[in-house]
Amino acid sequence: MGTLVVDAVISGILTGGVYALMAAGLTLIFGVMDIINVAQGILVVLGAYLSYTLSVHLGVDLFLGLVVTVPAMFVVGVFIQWAFIRRLGERERTAMSILATYAVAIIIEGVLGLVFGVDYVQLNAWYVNQSIHLFSFYLPYIYVFGFVLAVCLLAALYVMLYRTRFGRSVRASLQDRSAARLVGIDVDRVAAVTFGIGVAVTAAGGMVFGATNSFNPNTGYDLISRLLTIVILGGLGSIGGALGAAVVMLVIEDVVAVVWSPIWAPFVFFAMLVVVLSVRPSGLFGQVAGRAQ
Amino acid sequence: MKRGNAMRKGVAVKTMSGEDKTRRAGRVATRRRWRTISGLAAVLPAAALVIAVQGASAEASGNGVPSKGPIVIGASLSLSGDFSADGQAFDRGYQLWEAYQNAHGGLLGHKVALDVISDASDPGQVATNYQTLITVKHVNLIFGPFSTLLTVPASKVTNRYGYAMIEGAGGGPSAFATGLRSLFDVSAPVANSLVPFAQWIASLPKSERPKTAAYPTSNDPFTEPQLPVAERILQKAGVKTVYFKVFPAEVTDYTPIADAVAASKAQIVLLGSVDVPTVSAFIHAFAQQHYDPQAFIATAGPDQGSAFVSAVGAGNTDGMMVPNAWYGGSSNQLSKAMVAAYIKKYGGTPSDINADVAEAFSVGEVTTQAVEATHSLDGSKLISYLHGNVTVQSVQGPVHFDNVGENVSATIFVFQWVHGSFVQVLPLGDPGSTKIEFPKADWGS
Amino acid sequence: MLVALAIFPLVFTNPTVTTIAVFTLLFMASATAWNGFAGYSGYIALGHAAFFGTGAYVLAIVAQRLDVPGGSLMFALVPLAGLGAAVVAVPFGLVALRTRRHTFVVITIAVFFIFQLLAFNLSITEGSSGIQVASPNWAASTYNNPYYYVALGIVVFATVISWGLRRSVLGLQLLAIRDDEDRARGLGVPVGRAKLIAFVISAVPVGMCGAVYAYFLGQIFPQFAFNPLFDLSVALMSLFGGIGTLAGPLLGALLLESLQQYFTIQFSNGDLYLVIYGALFLAVLLWLPRGILPTLGDLIRRLPKSGARGNFANAAVTTPSGNPEDGDPRAGPLAIAGRGVVGSRREH
Repeated sequence: MGTLVVDAVISGILTGGVYALMAAGLTLIFGVMDIINVAQGILVVLGAYLSYTLSVHLGVDLFLGLVVTVPAMFVVGVFIQWAFIRRLGERERTAMSILATYAVAIIIEGVLGLVFGVDYVQLNAWYVNQSIHLFSFYLPYIYVFGFVLAVCLLAALYVMLYRTRFGRSVRASLQDRSAARLVGIDVDRVAAVTFGIGVAVTAAGGMVFGATNSFNPNTGYDLISRLLTIVILGGLGSIGGALGAAVVMLVIEDVVAVVWSPIWAPFVFFAMLVVVLSVRPSGLFGQVAGRAQ
Repeated sequence: MKRGNAMRKGVAVKTMSGEDKTRRAGRVATRRRWRTISGLAAVLPAAALVIAVQGASAEASGNGVPSKGPIVIGASLSLSGDFSADGQAFDRGYQLWEAYQNAHGGLLGHKVALDVISDASDPGQVATNYQTLITVKHVNLIFGPFSTLLTVPASKVTNRYGYAMIEGAGGGPSAFATGLRSLFDVSAPVANSLVPFAQWIASLPKSERPKTAAYPTSNDPFTEPQLPVAERILQKAGVKTVYFKVFPAEVTDYTPIADAVAASKAQIVLLGSVDVPTVSAFIHAFAQQHYDPQAFIATAGPDQGSAFVSAVGAGNTDGMMVPNAWYGGSSNQLSKAMVAAYIKKYGGTPSDINADVAEAFSVGEVTTQAVEATHSLDGSKLISYLHGNVTVQSVQGPVHFDNVGENVSATIFVFQWVHGSFVQVLPLGDPGSTKIEFPKADWGS
Repeated sequence: MLVALAIFPLVFTNPTVTTIAVFTLLFMASATAWNGFAGYSGYIALGHAAFFGTGAYVLAIVAQRLDVPGGSLMFALVPLAGLGAAVVAVPFGLVALRTRRHTFVVITIAVFFIFQLLAFNLSITEGSSGIQVASPNWAASTYNNPYYYVALGIVVFATVISWGLRRSVLGLQLLAIRDDEDRARGLGVPVGRAKLIAFVISAVPVGMCGAVYAYFLGQIFPQFAFNPLFDLSVALMSLFGGIGTLAGPLLGALLLESLQQYFTIQFSNGDLYLVIYGALFLAVLLWLPRGILPTLGDLIRRLPKSGARGNFANAAVTTPSGNPEDGDPRAGPLAIAGRGVVGSRREH
């Protein structure tokens, strides 16, 4: 039982990396821009399908393919923001974003269904089934790579948000839109680029997800609630928090699945989440003051 | 207007200038105006819907045989949503039967025409769709939807109108708990699907017989009833249960479950799965953990042909077993004809064909035989015919129904992927069975 | 309007139309109830399906235990289901309402999943096999009518509650909370109690809808009684019609449900239908970025008057007003100055 628990913890950490990758973009979009992006799940699937196309039809390695899919998804994100989100009234932006992103989500789902069909596929590579043998445990390569990628991307996001002028613009325009405009920040452009970055990062999440799960255009629905949860648990606006929260979520569920029963694992997680958020509404790593929660 | 006053009192901060007061009067009028407009606007789509519904009423005359024109058969299928992969496969099966039947003289001398409406895997939509098919499109006959979960509400609707609900994918006990006489499942009832496999394991000589077994299963009315049945047989034969856990249908991470199975070092694994992703997750996790059970059988997934292979990866299918009543290589004459027709239309090999296609096709065949035998489309006549002492032939073998509509003549076979081909391996003595791959070849070998 | 709805099934007797009507009415009631809480208070709750499912299971379990036969008697259980939903809404609300905005959204999602998982795992709910509800033996041609009238009753009930809320002190309190909760608390508004009461009230019609749904279909399974798409749908319908307004959710539900059914009948291809439906959604959204009623209201208000002054008028009215910046080039500095007059608007 002891080794099983350790193994569950390891699995939780590694899979947490995958979820952190998928949620990374959402920390920007939901956590920083206040947009309840119910399309996040289908965007992950879109990223997976893009990687699939490159891998199956052009033989490009999955990680290498990110060089193409990430900018592609950036463009998609900018388009979504510029064409639809931008038009929403300021006051109800958060609420109406549900409508807008839902519409985008079902369009993408429909298009993916028409183009790829609904049979399940999975991304394949040498590192998908192979694992590193460490002590008595096997760590699958794909998860390790994915975890490393998650850390790198989140670090990059952090740097972007807190150490660059652009990042300052983003944070400024979110604190007070009109003041930011008065100071000379092109709020619309900042919003578009931020959303684009959020979606671009999701391309990476999609690739790793697609390599560790079979997927079809329908797979997005199950993900969205989990991803929103991770962002809030980590703390709004906290980039590192997303990784921490994802790991916490997966470790809890994995350990409970092994120690008690898999059917109660999500229940325990959600129950703990409710407790944590009641006590500390700004999330595990969020700033308590700072943003109007 | 009282509302405006009340609001002003409550929210102390707001003040109203005199300018605004005069404007308020104008606003009342405009508000009433646009409320009327919007009220009318709301009625428009509802009216459009009603018109569309009335307008879509087809020529078909319900239960009577039409004088000319095609016999229309209605079905609701999950072309999108959770069951879309199976729903679309079922659709192909129904379409294939339609084409085949029309090429072979149609039904009672008429052509058949399918009318399929998508239900997005939602039970409310399924009920609405069958209402539409029956009362608006006036279809002559009904084919069933996909999944036990959708069959129950569907069958209640069709039963009210006296239609026979012939279906091939609602085999969980919940479907038959309704007790409806009009429900007929042409496929094998699922509760005993794992029995042939369990009996075979039990029949192995002591030296070869595995000593331990693991039973992970998804939380679903299709899978859950099957495992305890198999477990009982295996336990009697001395196979110890070292793992038996239920997992939720939507799992964030299969790895701890798969790892726990691997850690139990069970020699055989019986997986209760409803779809391909579940099986794929276990296969990959087992490979990553370097865990190779001697036998690995899943209740669903490996029977989906190329859809299974594309998700799991061509090199990873070897040894996977699945119980079903049919497979592409079946020697059944009816099946051969269907397989030929399928390959002509879609290409590929017999191993690529999803078992859903055969289930759907069988629905068509049973319907045909009932209609031709009674020489009518009348629901009550079909129902009493099918409940009579008749055995109907289909691509899945013989079909004979009991009181609640279960097919008690169905034979369960067990199939296995061997070197990229999907072959029959159980029952052992059956002429169609080839050598079973046991123990299963190791992953990646 | 009410008269039209009342005689609807007698005029349009086709059972398909009445079936669609039943589902539409259920959504109308649920959206109105949801809006009564979320629209007025500004708290976006995405967990009301928990009440829907609770109502459905209450009816199913009680009917099973007491062996209630199919027929009119079953409808007596519907108010009980509403009560059951209210009962679970209390702990749900106590836990969730301690948080705000985004955290609140996620907590409601989390609690919803807790409910769904309990439905899957507890033996009283019979897990994944679900529970059957006895169906009545009524004639097929008028089978749907009793359900229709019960659903209509719930719609009326929900609308009356929503209307009553607007005119009541509680309604004022909610609107004050929506505008600026901290200020409201500072002014002495009992925010915690107000939110909780509104939350619990909003659960009742939703629970009753769940019960009617369970009875109508004759069977419930955990994933359909507790369906995350339901959460999304009621929010969408309210937002579409105009969140915070009285008739908005009714309108939104009516439109969206009719539209969806129309598409289903016309386009059987599942994927194409999604694309067209989504595109239509977006198109409408572009023209009516605040939902139908509020945007129409803005347009009509602005017609004879100039932009900036029209926006000032907005500010004093209770329905949510758009940011003066939207599309009005003169609004910038005026808006900031204007805020001083009508009370500050907290920027997000």
